[in-house]
Amino acid sequence: MPFGVLVAWGTIAALDLVSVPQGLLSRPLVVGTVAGWLAGDLEAGLRVGVLFECFALDVLPIGAVRYPDYGPATVAAVALSAGVPWEGGLGVATALGLVLAAVGGWSMQVVRRWNARAIQKRSAALAAGEGGAIRLLQYGGLLRDALRGATLTAFGLAVTVLAWPRVYMLDRRTAVGLSLVAIGGALSAVMSGAVRSAGRGARLRWLLGGSAIGLALAALA
Amino acid sequence: MNGEWRALLRLFAIQGTWNYERMLGVGMGYAAEPLLEDLKLVDPVRHAEAIVRSTEFFNCNPNLAGLALGATARAEYEAVPGAQIARLRTALCSPLGALGDELFWTGMVPALVGMALAAAVLGAGWWAIAGLLVTYNLFRLGTGIWALRAGYRAGMNVGSAIGASWMPRAVARIGPVAGFTMGLAIPLVGGWFLRGFGWPGGLGAAALAVTGVAVTRWFGPWLTGVRFTLLAMALLLLLRRVGL
Repeated sequence: MPFGVLVAWGTIAALDLVSVPQGLLSRPLVVGTVAGWLAGDLEAGLRVGVLFECFALDVLPIGAVRYPDYGPATVAAVALSAGVPWEGGLGVATALGLVLAAVGGWSMQVVRRWNARAIQKRSAALAAGEGGAIRLLQYGGLLRDALRGATLTAFGLAVTVLAWPRVYMLDRRTAVGLSLVAIGGALSAVMSGAVRSAGRGARLRWLLGGSAIGLALAALA
Repeated sequence: MNGEWRALLRLFAIQGTWNYERMLGVGMGYAAEPLLEDLKLVDPVRHAEAIVRSTEFFNCNPNLAGLALGATARAEYEAVPGAQIARLRTALCSPLGALGDELFWTGMVPALVGMALAAAVLGAGWWAIAGLLVTYNLFRLGTGIWALRAGYRAGMNVGSAIGASWMPRAVARIGPVAGFTMGLAIPLVGGWFLRGFGWPGGLGAAALAVTGVAVTRWFGPWLTGVRFTLLAMALLLLLRRVGL
């Protein structure tokens, strides 16, 4: 497992979520597929990525809302499920990923509080309009977020190494049951998000129309 | 690279110091610096005041922050009273937040991600990922350039410029597209995952999904999709432990 490369990718994903560049690199679909390719199991990456994307679509990152960070979590979940038949590995990987995503969300609050403290410390320089102070604060904030992402990904990968033998210890029925619960939960999250965003107007009609076509295509596939 | 392009690049990192006190404030100041450089040569005192104002509290959708940045920079060059510029910044927070969130977070992002999900599970693989990233980032870059220039052109009249622009129409149109692609993706994703488990497994997961929608709606916002899934997993492990 290319530990360093996965940590670097998790860090990029964590930075992209809020700090820079917000270019959708942090979407689980993207993170998972790339992490799967890096870990040598593209199928596992795509499965985990699609699953976590369903959870992520339930999140609206508006205003000061608090939400999970799925980037490093997806990297760790892909690492855990790589090399295991996906029907058995997906559930355990999802459990690890969801807990990590929640920890990631909490870690963002910590970084935001650190940013506020750093700004308070330099409030005199800001009040004097010193450009150097603004740049220092900005680079400090980016560095804190990068460290957060790297730590979270490294922690997730370390847990993966420890949890790896346990995945094999689970009996097949339990492992498959966990995967089915993970899929059901993910579908529930994406449906909740879609229905909530649709409201009662034209968007709801388009959602229902799209669902009908999707059902037909799923039946044909 | 001129000030406008440097400001545009810095806008990509506008949330670098996001915090609960000034929110985007310091990031706005960071992006404003290159735009206000010429003011330093003409009026250093006004320049210092403008930099201070630019770092004060500000919040909106980050993709539309260029409109506020351009407008306030123009106002600074036109020597508009500082209090008026501060009022403009405050007044822009809500509309730029609402429009940007509808255009990006509830519009473009679910529309493109829904399409990418559908394409990925239908076998498009890397093309789905590439299509998502290229389309979104081209749109975002285009919007960023337009926002900064439109804001700078309009100055204190930025409100009317936004109202007369393409944005309100785009917001109205992107919602149904997002609804459609999400609707298309959900059954395809469900089928892609559940095909390998046979009817009993598939029905069980579908029943859990419907239950999840109902209970997360009932107990929300405390019971999120993530918490519901983790609780269901814990329950399953408990049941397996007692031998069911």
